[in-house]
Amino acid sequence: MSTRITIDPITRLEGHGRIEIFLNEEGNVANTYFQIPELRGFERFCVGRPVEEMPLLTNRICGVCPEAHHMAAAKAADAVYHVEPPRTGKLLRELLYSGFYFTDHTTHFYALAGPDFVMGPTAPVAERNILGVIHKVGLEIGGKVIQARKYGHHIVEIIGGRKVHPCTSIPGGLTKGITEEQRVEIEQMGHWAIEFAQFSLQLFSDIVLGNKEYLDLILGDIYTHQTYSIGLVDENNKVNFYDGKVSVVAPDGERIGKYAPNEYTDWIAERVEPWTYLKFPYLKKVGWKGFVDGKDSGVYFATPLSRLNASDGMTTPIAQEQYEKFYATLGGKPVHQRLAIHWARLIELLYAAERIVELATDPEITSPNFHTVPTATPTEGVGIVEAPRGTLTHHYKTDERGILTEVNLIVGTTNNYAPISMSINKAARSLIHNGSVVTEGMLNMVEMAFRAYDPCFGCATHSLPGQMPLEVTIRDANGETVEVLRQHC
Amino acid sequence: MSTLVVGLGNPILGDDGAGWRIAEAVACRLPIQSGCVTEAGQSYSPEDQSVSVECLGVGGLSLMEHMIGYDRAILVDTILTGKHATGTIYCFPLHELPDLKTGHLSSTHDTTLQNALQVGQSMGAVLPDEITIVAVEARCVYDFSDELTPPVATAVPIAVKMIMELLK
Repeated sequence: MSTRITIDPITRLEGHGRIEIFLNEEGNVANTYFQIPELRGFERFCVGRPVEEMPLLTNRICGVCPEAHHMAAAKAADAVYHVEPPRTGKLLRELLYSGFYFTDHTTHFYALAGPDFVMGPTAPVAERNILGVIHKVGLEIGGKVIQARKYGHHIVEIIGGRKVHPCTSIPGGLTKGITEEQRVEIEQMGHWAIEFAQFSLQLFSDIVLGNKEYLDLILGDIYTHQTYSIGLVDENNKVNFYDGKVSVVAPDGERIGKYAPNEYTDWIAERVEPWTYLKFPYLKKVGWKGFVDGKDSGVYFATPLSRLNASDGMTTPIAQEQYEKFYATLGGKPVHQRLAIHWARLIELLYAAERIVELATDPEITSPNFHTVPTATPTEGVGIVEAPRGTLTHHYKTDERGILTEVNLIVGTTNNYAPISMSINKAARSLIHNGSVVTEGMLNMVEMAFRAYDPCFGCATHSLPGQMPLEVTIRDANGETVEVLRQHC
Repeated sequence: MSTLVVGLGNPILGDDGAGWRIAEAVACRLPIQSGCVTEAGQSYSPEDQSVSVECLGVGGLSLMEHMIGYDRAILVDTILTGKHATGTIYCFPLHELPDLKTGHLSSTHDTTLQNALQVGQSMGAVLPDEITIVAVEARCVYDFSDELTPPVATAVPIAVKMIMELLK
């Protein structure tokens, strides 16, 4: 008779994810399922509304990355109206976005990833949190984390009009610019941010890279998968969070192509599995071969690590140095060890900080030319940005009045549903053997397999036609249903 | 005494929007003073106390950061205990929270509110001595909608009245 282990709710994960691990009679892992009760009907909720409302509506999908939805929606609305924001409009949006990235990556490292490495993956759960980290490494660091968040939020507020849910991006640019005083303030915060990001990288180097046990964990096979990498790049194939084309790089490092936002349906398809309503995106040109590694499998990942893998480098000088050190240390491109996502995230933190200063010192950043009035008839458009947790695609169709007729979103975490499921499965198989006693620490190490992806399923919604009750089927090792869960709604 | 009333939730996720509706209704009942605090809030200052109202979709560290500088906080949210009828209103101090699951008071993407408050206190932040939670038992929080289910909608004015009593 099989044994079922449930991790529910998943610690420190937004949403209501659940992992099921099935053991066979020998006490080895027979199978794993990662299931998410998704939010439903967002697309249907939007149809019939003016497209210019989308930058405001979509940032309500979830409280974790509203800025990413705001930006993707604004870019999709630009495309719907066939309007290009002026250079200052683009600079301001990217500056806001860099402030957001700075806050989000800081929070992830110190509150989610930090506890696993600073306290250790097998530390008691009561200590394995941000409080434990602060007690161990000192109050000063806690103060810096709070300060970092404050600065990131403040940059978003100055440009976006509000601290958390920005409201200034509209088709063609923004509703407001910034003054010279605000520019100076942002530049000063940016300089502080660069120092903080360098400090964070040093902390990672000291605590993680300097610890053989952790280094072995990162480089070991448990957390390694050979899949495709994707990420937004500029015209020189350098990482860009806000604009460009999506670069697709094979497990062996070969770039198989780049796609513009309006070409995404040529590249991305979605796989349906019977045990979950959330779909599994994969590379259409490669095809779906199941939850397997390799160049013949269309599974890809979209994270800070995949962004570095899919690019030729960073545009800012200190982040580029760190990029080179990263690949030199880990044996060249591409890197497939998934726990290295944490390190890649810190390099992106530094890039965001440097980018804040670059953008804040651009001579045109305070120009009043931040908006182009749309004049064309709205039709259809796609907007893509890199959300901190993966490539975010918004696709809208409207009638000639700009009223939405179709909406499709592929959110950051959804891209990673297949690789996360694979990582959980591999970690469970590697850690649980022959009926060994399953400890809390061991389960946390299984959780670490997906925590690296920084998943957030709060917004992993998709269009569902008609009424469909949400239910999750749990199967045993033979594929037999052993339990069905339903949401009471 | 300065008091912050926070409506928590997602205004376009069915019953999850109840916290916002309640906070917005509380804000409307307060005498208007100069300036708005946030997007949906406003503040007023009678002789011996000031009240600010905010509507947020955050938890953990962000929520803690919003409470800095206040003597008292009232957090308004929906709750899913499954033990009582939809629309049931709860009012309890924060330290009773661990027995109950909520979607936002302990946003798990950063840290729990309790942890965040300890982090803030460790950093020397001035945080409310008194945190009260007013929560409405919800039913439908997984479908996008800007409408509340009837039992939750019925509970909104009752919760508003309860909060106005707390503010007296």
